[in-house]
Amino acid sequence: MSNTAGNGAVLVVGGGISGLTAALEAAEVGNDVFVIDKNPYFGGRVAQLNQYFPKLCPPTCGLEINFKRLKDNRKIRSYSMTTVKSVSGGPGNFTVELETAPRFVNSNCTACGDCAAACTDEIDDPFNFGMRKIKAAYLPHEMAFPRRFVLAKDACSDECLAAVKASCKYNAIDTEMQTETFTLQVSSIIWSTGWNPYEAEKIDNLKFNSSPAIITNMMMERLAADNGPTAGKILRPGDDKEPESFAFVQCAGSRDENHMEHCSYICCMATFKQISYIREQYPEAKIYVFYIDLRTPGKYESFREKFTADENTTFIKGKVADIIAEGDGGVTVVAEDTLSAKKIQQKVDMCVLATGMKPAMEQGEQLGLTVDGNGFIVSEPEKGMISAGCAKAAVDVYSSGQSSTAAALKAIQIGR
Amino acid sequence: MSMNVQPDLEFIKAMKVAGGDTLKQCYQCATCSVACPLSSDGDPFPRREMILAQWGMKDKLLADPNVFLCHQCGDCTEMCPRGAKPGDVLGAIRAYAYEHYGWPSGLAKLCTSVKNLPMLIGIPAVTVFVLWLISGGMHIPSGEQFAHVGFTQFFGHWDFRLLAKNVLFIDVIMLSALGIAVYSLYQAISTMWGKMEENLGVGELNYRPSATLFIKDFLWPSLKEIVGHGRFRECTVNQDRVRGHLPLMLAFIGLFIVTCYSLFTQDVIGIFIPSMHGPISMWNPVKLLANVSAVAMLVGIGILWMNRAQMEAAGKATNTFYDWFLIWMIAGVGITGLAAELLRLVGIPSLGYVVYYLHLVSVMMLFLYLPYTKFAHIVYRTFAMAFERYRESAYVKDPLND
Repeated sequence: MSNTAGNGAVLVVGGGISGLTAALEAAEVGNDVFVIDKNPYFGGRVAQLNQYFPKLCPPTCGLEINFKRLKDNRKIRSYSMTTVKSVSGGPGNFTVELETAPRFVNSNCTACGDCAAACTDEIDDPFNFGMRKIKAAYLPHEMAFPRRFVLAKDACSDECLAAVKASCKYNAIDTEMQTETFTLQVSSIIWSTGWNPYEAEKIDNLKFNSSPAIITNMMMERLAADNGPTAGKILRPGDDKEPESFAFVQCAGSRDENHMEHCSYICCMATFKQISYIREQYPEAKIYVFYIDLRTPGKYESFREKFTADENTTFIKGKVADIIAEGDGGVTVVAEDTLSAKKIQQKVDMCVLATGMKPAMEQGEQLGLTVDGNGFIVSEPEKGMISAGCAKAAVDVYSSGQSSTAAALKAIQIGR
Repeated sequence: MSMNVQPDLEFIKAMKVAGGDTLKQCYQCATCSVACPLSSDGDPFPRREMILAQWGMKDKLLADPNVFLCHQCGDCTEMCPRGAKPGDVLGAIRAYAYEHYGWPSGLAKLCTSVKNLPMLIGIPAVTVFVLWLISGGMHIPSGEQFAHVGFTQFFGHWDFRLLAKNVLFIDVIMLSALGIAVYSLYQAISTMWGKMEENLGVGELNYRPSATLFIKDFLWPSLKEIVGHGRFRECTVNQDRVRGHLPLMLAFIGLFIVTCYSLFTQDVIGIFIPSMHGPISMWNPVKLLANVSAVAMLVGIGILWMNRAQMEAAGKATNTFYDWFLIWMIAGVGITGLAAELLRLVGIPSLGYVVYYLHLVSVMMLFLYLPYTKFAHIVYRTFAMAFERYRESAYVKDPLND
C-alpha cells in the first residue's frame, strides 16, 4: 500500500480555475493533493480569457495568486500534460493509472527562449486557436505555469531538432523523452475537467469555415487580449481590417438538440463583455446581437442594462440560421426578427459565434463516472467521485469557485 | 400592448391528432423561417404559425396563406433545434383547415381519422355496388364479348343511342362525387379568401379584379409555377419528393386529358359513329398517353410512399393518417386501373370485373374526399399562391402611397 492510501489524498483532474481552487482548498486544510492537467500549463480556459466575470479581471489577477499558493504548498503535487487512464478501487482507496505525455523539455528549462529562437519550424498556436503561427519550441503563453517550454517534436524536421537541442545551454531538450505512466493511491477524486468551445464547424448552417470574418467568442477573447495574436487590437482575421460592424450569434450550438441541448449559461454575458471590448476600441462600431432569449442571471442584469442602453447596439430577437460570406471580406447574417416578423439580412464586417461549453470529459463512463445527457459529470461524493466547475454544469467562474470549494469539502471527508 | 389570448383547446387537440404533437417544443428561435427556402423576407414562416398554433389562435391560422404555401419539404424540421417539426405542424394545420372549411362537415370529419377507414371505403363501395345492382348489368361477360367491349358495358347496355347506359351510371357516380367536391371547395376557397383578405388589415378594397383578370394575373401564373415545380425544387433535404411528385402530377394531367378525350369521342362523336364505343386502340396516341400516365402515377406514388416511410423511420416525419390516406388512395387508383386494363388484355373477365369495381370505388374516393384530405392541397395551395400574388398587387397595395 502506498503511503498516501487511506490518508485522505485527493486527486484533482483538471487544473483550471476550478481544479486549482479545489486543490488549494483541500491542501490548505492538510490533505495531500495531486492536481493534473492535460495541457502543458495550468489555468485552463480562464488563462485564455481577456477578462473574466464577475469583476472583468484579467486572468493574471486570479490565477497568479493561485499559482503562488500552489507553489508554496508542500501538500500539492502538480503534473502537467497528464491524463487519467484508468480508475479502480472505491472511496477511500482508489488506484489511478495516469499517463504523462512527453514534453521533450525537462526540468532544467529556465524559459530563456533560446530554443524558440533556434527553432525553424512552426505550428498553429493552440493557445490562440490557430490565429497565428508560433515556433515549434514554445512557451504556451506568457504566464504559463509551470514556466517551462514545450517542444512539438512531430512538427519538427531532424535539422530543426538538432538546432533546438544545440541551442539549449542547460541541456533541457530531451528528444528521446517517452510517455510515462504512473500510479496514485488516493481517497477521492475531484473531476474538474472543464469544457471545450463547441466545434463551430459542426454547425453547418453557420458556415464557420466559409470566411475568416466568422470567429468564435473564445477567439474574440484572444483577439482582445494583450498577449493575443493582435496584441489586443480587435482586427478581422485574414485581412486585419478594423471592423466597423459586428454581429453576435447567440446560442451557436447551445440549446439545440442537433448539437448541445443545454444552455451554456455564460455566452449571453460573454457577448455583453465582448461588446465592452469593442466599445473600448471602436466607440462608433455598429453591433447587432441576435438572440433567442437574453439570459443574464442574477446580478448580471445590471451589466446587461449598461449595454442595452447603447444606441449603436441593436438587439434582435431571432436566431441566426444562415451566414453568407461576402466578396469584401465581410459576411451577411440572416435571421427572422420575431418581434417585427420580418427577415433580416444584416451585412457586417465581423461575426462572432457565441459557441457554448461542451464538457471536455469524453470517456467519463469508461472511468466509472455517471454522465448526464449533455455530457456533464454527475457529482457522486458517496462514490468518492466529485465533479466541480464546468465539468459538472455550464457555469461562470464565480459559480465554479463555489462548486470547487464544495467539492473540496466533500473530498476531504472521504478516507479519513 | 396587451393582448387577450383565448387558447382553443380543441384546436390544440386536433393538432396533436394530425401529427403536430411536437408543437409545444417550439421556443421561437426562428431558425425555421430562415431555413425555409419558400419563406419570404417580408412575411416569413413557419415561426409565426408555430406560436399562433401554440396559443390556439386558429382564426389567424385559417386566414394565413403561408400555411398553404408551405410544401412540407422538411428543411425547417431538419434544422429545428428543439425537434418541434414545424413542417409536420404546418401539415397538421392544413389538415385542420380542410376539415374546418369542408362541407358537408360530417364528411370532412369522417376524413380525419383512420378509425373511419371502413366507412370511408364503405360509402363508395356500397354506392357503386348498389348502382351496379340497379343497372341490372350484373353479369360477367364471355371472353369474346369482353375482348370486344372491355369494361364499357360494366353497367349493362341499352340501345338508346344518345346516352350509353354505362356512361350514364358512371356519370351519376363520378359527377355527383365531383360535384359535391367542387361545390365544397368553391365554398371553402371563397370563405378562406375572404378571411385572408380581412387578415391583411387594409380594410375594404376599392377595386377588385374581374374573373378574367383574376385568372390571367393571379391564377394562371400560379398554375404555371406549380407545373414547373419551382418551389418544390427549392427544398434541400428532401429532393426525392420532386422525383415522386412531378411524375404524379403530370400523370394526373395526362389522365385528365385522356378522360376528356374519351368523354368527347365516346359520348359525343360516339352518338354519330357507334364504332367509337369500346376500348381505345392500343396504338392510339391518346391511349399511349393514358398508359404512360398510369405508369408515371405508379412510379410517382411509389417514390412518395418509400420516401415517406423512410422519413418516418428516420424520425423526421410523423406517421399520420392525413398523409397516408392520400398515398393509399392514389396507389389504389393506379394499381386497380392498370390491373383492370391488363386483365382485359389477357382476357380474364371475372377477375377483371372485380378489379374494375375496385377501380371505380377508389376513383370515387379520390373525387368525393378531394376537399377534406391531403388531396385538397391542389386547390388550397393554388389559391394561396394566387393570393400571395394578389396581396403584392396594386389591388391591395397602393402603388403610389405604399
